[in-house]
Amino acid sequence: MFKYKKFNFIFIFVFLTFIPMIFKGYIVFILPQYILFGVLAMSLAFIWGNAGILSFGQASFFAIGGYTFGLLIKFFPEINHFFLGSLIVIFLGFVVAVITSYFLFSAGVKATYFVLATLALSILTEQLAVTKSTLTGGWNGLFVDRINIKVGDFTLLDLSGDVKFFYLILFISLITYLILNYLENNKIGKVLRGIRENENRMLAMGYKTSFYKTVAFGVSGSVAALAGALYAAHASFISPSIAGVLFSTEVVVWVAIGGRYSLLGAFAGGIIVSFLSSYLSTITPQYWQLFLGIIFIVTIIFFKDGLAGIFKKRYERNNIK
Amino acid sequence: MEVRVKKNKKNKSIVNKKISRRDAIKSIGYLAIGALASPALIRSAHAANPIKVGVISPLSGAWTVYGKAHIAGFELAVDEINAKGGVLGRKMELVIGDSKTEPRIVVEQANRLIRNEKVDFLAGTFSSAERNAAGPVVKALDKVLLYPTFYEGQEKEYYPGVCNKNIFMFGPEPTQQVWPHMEYMMNKFGKKFFMIGSDYAWPRVTNMVTKRKLKELGGSVVGEVYIPFGTPQYESVLRDIRNAKPDIIFHSLTGSDTVNFRQQFAAAGMKEDFALWTVDDEEVVTTGLGPKVSGNDYVSFDYFMSIKHPNNAKFLKNFRKKFGQDALMNTVGVAMYNAAHMAALAIEKAGKLDTASLRENLKGISFNDAPQGPVTMRKDDNQIIVPSYLMQVNPSWTNVGNMFNEVQSFQKVVPLAARCSLPL
Amino acid sequence: MEFIGISIDVLLITSTLALAAFGLAIVYGLIGVINMGHGAMLTLGAYLTWYFISLNIPFFLCIIFSGIGVALVGIALEHFIIRKFYDRPFDTLLLTWAFFLITTEVIKIIFGTDFKNIEAPIAGAFEVFGVNIPAYRFLVCLFTIFLITISNIIFLKTDLGIKIRALIQNKEVAGLMGLDINLTYKAVFGFGSFMAGIAGGLIAPMLSIDPYMGNIYLVRSFFVVIVGGVGHLLSGTVIGSFLIGGTETLFAIFSDQVVSQASVFLLAIVLLRLRPNGIMNKKDV
Repeated sequence: MFKYKKFNFIFIFVFLTFIPMIFKGYIVFILPQYILFGVLAMSLAFIWGNAGILSFGQASFFAIGGYTFGLLIKFFPEINHFFLGSLIVIFLGFVVAVITSYFLFSAGVKATYFVLATLALSILTEQLAVTKSTLTGGWNGLFVDRINIKVGDFTLLDLSGDVKFFYLILFISLITYLILNYLENNKIGKVLRGIRENENRMLAMGYKTSFYKTVAFGVSGSVAALAGALYAAHASFISPSIAGVLFSTEVVVWVAIGGRYSLLGAFAGGIIVSFLSSYLSTITPQYWQLFLGIIFIVTIIFFKDGLAGIFKKRYERNNIK
Repeated sequence: MEVRVKKNKKNKSIVNKKISRRDAIKSIGYLAIGALASPALIRSAHAANPIKVGVISPLSGAWTVYGKAHIAGFELAVDEINAKGGVLGRKMELVIGDSKTEPRIVVEQANRLIRNEKVDFLAGTFSSAERNAAGPVVKALDKVLLYPTFYEGQEKEYYPGVCNKNIFMFGPEPTQQVWPHMEYMMNKFGKKFFMIGSDYAWPRVTNMVTKRKLKELGGSVVGEVYIPFGTPQYESVLRDIRNAKPDIIFHSLTGSDTVNFRQQFAAAGMKEDFALWTVDDEEVVTTGLGPKVSGNDYVSFDYFMSIKHPNNAKFLKNFRKKFGQDALMNTVGVAMYNAAHMAALAIEKAGKLDTASLRENLKGISFNDAPQGPVTMRKDDNQIIVPSYLMQVNPSWTNVGNMFNEVQSFQKVVPLAARCSLPL
Repeated sequence: MEFIGISIDVLLITSTLALAAFGLAIVYGLIGVINMGHGAMLTLGAYLTWYFISLNIPFFLCIIFSGIGVALVGIALEHFIIRKFYDRPFDTLLLTWAFFLITTEVIKIIFGTDFKNIEAPIAGAFEVFGVNIPAYRFLVCLFTIFLITISNIIFLKTDLGIKIRALIQNKEVAGLMGLDINLTYKAVFGFGSFMAGIAGGLIAPMLSIDPYMGNIYLVRSFFVVIVGGVGHLLSGTVIGSFLIGGTETLFAIFSDQVVSQASVFLLAIVLLRLRPNGIMNKKDV
């Protein structure tokens, strides 16, 4: 189809790589957080674009990752936070996602109802974060110390500076993208898309659809949790609102605008829309949500495939001789 | 990038460069970066070297209701300061950040204001969660934050949101807001407290501190309930209250929950049977309640629009001139007003502006024109010493002017020392 | 005595929840629109009621006018946007969420962000078996019962109702038999919005009126409709409200508020799994 389809992602990641070299200060600080939102968006696009499973619960995995990571740093200062902590977070995200989705998919719960269950999951996670306040700090939030990447006693990477953390997060995002892309282009991706098109046919062909959906949701949960852990480490602070319905819905907005059928589109959508919200709210604190709502509606009606879809069409038009 | 050569009607060649995806992404990228940088560029083109203050306020999101008074207080003070020629000959200028009532946005805004807008210090954030989110930022980037809201006091475990040498508290904590009035309330109504609050740190710690004094005075707690945000119905709580038979309902709900609860409390006819003492519901909330629901209830803060201090008359006159006759002001807005003036005084005293000298000179500084009466910033723990007023809501109030009647007041209430390693 | 008190509480909570959810039960239950803007419609109803009251119009009329106002907004939404997306439920979900964002902002711009309040038209409480019941709450409860019963009669017994049910069963056949599909959908959506507006207005005296007030009922309403059973207007809504609202009250007796609220959502997820089509539906439809 596209000549450069396999290598599109290089452009975006190279572009991002150059940012700290050209700019200093605030952008280098804030961009990693937006990049992590991009990763969170990818976690949603993975299941929404491929399997047609919409989730309003990505924020809860993000929060689970963030809080787990923060609590590990707080209560277990001896362990190797970066490697072991990340593994624990990924595992926990996977497990929670699998338990929730298996519970529902195995009973044949319809996709539309699943959406509402994920909404409830967000609310539950937020309530949990608030009520276990002796552990999590409740609404006052949890402080997360900046850590270094250590192997044994040897410091591999000192993360107290912005630039190093920036590249670390960029690198991890790249790896995550490549993994998700690989999964998409292989068997599991194809099965998921088959399920999206016609689940009954896939069942008739002998595929255990609930298994595939559950695994996909598990992958999505672990990616979201990892993004959350890195976010907590970077922002040095996490609070229950990051688990809630409002943030979960923002993720959906990012992916809808970026392009639900494209991992890169979702990634870019997460970065661009969160940047846009932040920027709009500084120039017009009263009306920015109005503009965002309008952009959102316009996107859903006219640009169903999001930004990625717009680029795809332009590129295709250019290439037709 | 493809370059195509077309021939138009006159057979002249037109070079038609098609925009490829790469170029589109690049141009959006440049636009975006330019947009990010532009406020700084635009501002630096302006007049000579103002003192920039980053104000973080909840202008959207769940607590938009409080945002207006919050920022208005600071704006009024800055106007007054600039009218007198500014500070050290420089005008003060606000750079506003909307917190959207989200702590994670506060992290963003605090960083943006300090790194991008290069403000000299920060003022605001509203809830304790927002202040805590700003804590690590002002610690790492070494900028002062002036925090206005009544809060739960400083405990070491919440460092760096509290016990942070860069954060100055301009609102009262429970030993100032609650303790002075407990004896009066208990003598008048009885010793049994039923505590109802929203489920987060401020109500919980406030209740904990209140219980300490309650025990001292021989009182008791017959019920303690914490309500999650966004609870619409209070039937079960009302029943618990009736069963517990308290003398005083000690109330620390916030946001829309406080209105929901008090409306339903009044509708159930329970106002006749129990006294209600709130430490959260100031002018903004009480206006939303109406006189029937709020009448005769007790409120305690360091400031009310209704207080009869000469400073207040002058303050309200200026405030209404700028914001209109119906504008609302409350303890938080006044704390912002005081914070601005006290910062200006501190900078003048220091003769220069940098974080260390601002910090040193804020400690111990007094502001005699504060609307509620003279206030002083305590040296050791960055806590302000303010008056404490106990007011009763007028059952037939019609506007903020006649909303509260003073029951008793103390001009200077010295709070307990902060539970941090002092001095800060 | 305690039991009576609890029962009355459960009754009041159930009826309030049923009232709030009813508009959604119509729109989601009958024509399958996942209306994430339902909370915004409740909020809009409350604000419109506040506005009409400030013009000194009698309370009851204010409610009707608010209902009409929200119905008009709903019909406009349906006509210009939702109409094209009936077969894409996820897109209606997103579009109605965008509707919520925009409506909330418009409300903030027009009405400002201060807390507003409406006094209950009937003040005071009366005692029944030693239990205090707020008069207004009780009235709303009676009205809700009346409302749901009437709506049920319309849908089950009248011509119009039969047409609508036919439409839901089989769109093509209904169309072939001469039913104007577009008009019917529009009418149902409008009626659901009307109900949401009325609910918002009636609930307003019990709550603070702020731009986000309706959203408290959004997720709860969805669970009421799903748990009760999509399509069963009367029984589903009532049973769903009882399960969601009632259990929350009952849990709150034994534990604290947060645990009870969390438990209800957990319960809803469990019920969703056990009866994917709702309590009232025995088999997959």
